[in-house]
Amino acid sequence: MADLTVDERRRRLARLLVGFGANVQPGQTVMVGGDIDDRELVRAVANECYLAGARFVELNYFDLYIKRARIEFGGDDSIGYATTWSYEQARAAAAEKWAIISLSGGTDPSILAGLDPDRLGRDNSPVNTEWLKAVSEQLVNWTVGPSPSPVWAAVVHPDMEPDAALELLWSEVERVCRLDEDDPVASWEQRMGDMVATAGRIDDHRFDALHFQGPGTDLEVGLLPSSRFISGGSETADGIPHRPNVPSEEAFTTPDPTRVNGEVRATRPLDVGGTVLTGLRVRFEDGRAVTIDADQGGEVLRARTAIDDGGVRLGEVALVDGESRIGQLGTVFYETLLDENAACHIALGQGFDYCVSGDDVGRINSSQIHIDFMIGDDDVDVTGVTGGGDRVPVLRGGAWQV
Amino acid sequence: MDDLLTERLAELAVGFGANVQADQIVMVNAELGREPLARAVAAAAYRAGARYVDVTYADAFVRRAKIENAGDEAIGYAPPWHVERMKQMGEQHVAVISLEAALDPAATDGLDPVRLGADQSPVRQAYLRLVMERLINWCIIACPTPEWAARVHPDLPVDEAFELLSQEIARVCRLDEDDPVAAWQTRFDRLTEISERLGEHRFEAVHFSGDGTDLTVGLLPSAEWACATFTTAEGISHHPNLPTEEVFTTPDPRRTDGVVRSTKPLNIEGTMVTGLTVRFEGGRAVAIDADGGAEVLRGRASRDDGASRLGELALVDGEGRIGALDTVFYSTLIDENAASHIALGSGLGYLVKDERDKEQVNSSSIHIDFMIGSPEIDVDGMNADGTRVPVLRGGEWQI
Repeated sequence: MADLTVDERRRRLARLLVGFGANVQPGQTVMVGGDIDDRELVRAVANECYLAGARFVELNYFDLYIKRARIEFGGDDSIGYATTWSYEQARAAAAEKWAIISLSGGTDPSILAGLDPDRLGRDNSPVNTEWLKAVSEQLVNWTVGPSPSPVWAAVVHPDMEPDAALELLWSEVERVCRLDEDDPVASWEQRMGDMVATAGRIDDHRFDALHFQGPGTDLEVGLLPSSRFISGGSETADGIPHRPNVPSEEAFTTPDPTRVNGEVRATRPLDVGGTVLTGLRVRFEDGRAVTIDADQGGEVLRARTAIDDGGVRLGEVALVDGESRIGQLGTVFYETLLDENAACHIALGQGFDYCVSGDDVGRINSSQIHIDFMIGDDDVDVTGVTGGGDRVPVLRGGAWQV
Repeated sequence: MDDLLTERLAELAVGFGANVQADQIVMVNAELGREPLARAVAAAAYRAGARYVDVTYADAFVRRAKIENAGDEAIGYAPPWHVERMKQMGEQHVAVISLEAALDPAATDGLDPVRLGADQSPVRQAYLRLVMERLINWCIIACPTPEWAARVHPDLPVDEAFELLSQEIARVCRLDEDDPVAAWQTRFDRLTEISERLGEHRFEAVHFSGDGTDLTVGLLPSAEWACATFTTAEGISHHPNLPTEEVFTTPDPRRTDGVVRSTKPLNIEGTMVTGLTVRFEGGRAVAIDADGGAEVLRGRASRDDGASRLGELALVDGEGRIGALDTVFYSTLIDENAASHIALGSGLGYLVKDERDKEQVNSSSIHIDFMIGSPEIDVDGMNADGTRVPVLRGGEWQI
């Protein structure tokens, strides 16, 4: 890939996000969102949208310095304020069935440093609820993809020269997005097809729980009767297939928040709001995380999980096999889009209602937080436990057994 | 441009230009590349008590992608909520601050002029309505950028060019004064006084003479003279153009006669027109000649009936800071304030009180200003009885 120009690399990533990720349709309005540092990729994405027949590309550039000005100098009623027309925009997206492409990457943590954490915490736009509604009602085809930038490269590879760090991040993003394949879309179709089939076979077992065993880990995670594993793509109500995350390597569901027991050791560092946790160990009793310890940063996770009742219970359990290219790289990206696809993981906090049905919808975990952490590795075995007590191997040495 | 200058420019746009009020919503329109001033404007607006600052970054390279690669149905289209947004901005009486600079030519070079011309969004009309109905307090302010500096000073290394342009903009925005707002207030007081005096004289025509120019521009009986200070329907005074130096009116498009020689080069979308002379008869430009670029102006002036007649007459005195720099900025906001000027094309109907005069105001799809004033050009007011009153001598007001 090294012989490709930067423009050509952006064009290939943009084409994957437009054609495969969001699957932009002729005549659609497309909202393209990214940090102003992502402008080169935003332009490449916009160009691909128009080539795909988009009628309009709505730009949504965000600039953290404008947020900083608001937190620093705004009055109390400026915090969390939304204009009436920003609601019109979200309603238009739902009514006109837009496509949405969001670029994600590490941002410069110093921009918001030193601001009042209380005002920062309250500065959430109430319009987000409208956007989530458009997504949950399946009115929009959407994707989130990575955008390599110098700022992000410095976070991931702090010991390297800036140019070399950016070059390495680009090649890693290309590898995990399968852009190093002759036909990246065919490669993704194959991978996601396999994952969907695997998720279906796990569902067929109707496991009552999953058991994780490895160095420092002996954890049983109870499932709800209707918990279903989801992988790969999604479809709008009108039948437009799309892939909400590029890359995506996981099969995930929402567990029973009252039935988690045992000890678990995180297999990768994780970033919680700018603080890096290493050597994390958590002990669960009857669904609750009763002790949270870490070599570094433990107090931040203890504070976060104390925010509400559901903060110490699980909302997600996800299985990732050794074929995951993110896991194979071994790089910590400090960016959930990539890191959560590196290995099997669990998340403290909010669950997913679309993973369950019937009465179970009321039983999933509810919280303001959702913090993923990696617990899988080649030496962590995953075993399914049926209601009758039978044990079925699911992952051994990173390879599917189902 | 250093941080202090950026902050002073932002304070001027917020406190004096748009005159942002406590609890107002402030829209900031900025092309990408103008972030430093956009951020400073946001901070200044919040410090002035703004309820919320909504910064919209536009991207000329995404527009380029549209012109180059989009289908025909995309040209001129904007989602309907964009028009709704304008309507709500009017209802909520927002303030609007737009950052002006010359675009990076790489964003527009070689684009199909037909598609570019056809890409006119209905949102523009909705915005003009807010201005005409005086629902918003607004300001367009010059914003130095490296891309703009490279255009203005192509022979300098880009960082030196940027530094020089920044200093020039600081100068013409009077940021080198201890109290720029006080300096502008003094200047506007003077310009307002001059426009009132010009109005009181009720001249029948204005005569320019000297250095190859002998031109009479007839005025409409009920046309007023004005400078660029506005008041919203709710009474918020504001200054929509910074910088500005002109006192202007809309002339009688049937009564322009004589010869005029342009005193500065004229830039028409990238083509430089130099050594321009224009001869008028009965209001029409009948001969357009130049050392270079004449055919471009001739093409524009023949576009429609009103394109060869005058829509604006503006006087700038020697106190104006832009002309003294002798720099072409490739930005109408600044360049049209360099010297006394006339404009071929559309007139300014709001300056005319009498309904019958309103019908006479020139109408055209073009509006091209060109500079005709200098200290060597005398400007006289002509009364109906043939007497003359000196207006400008050596660049100084005589009234």
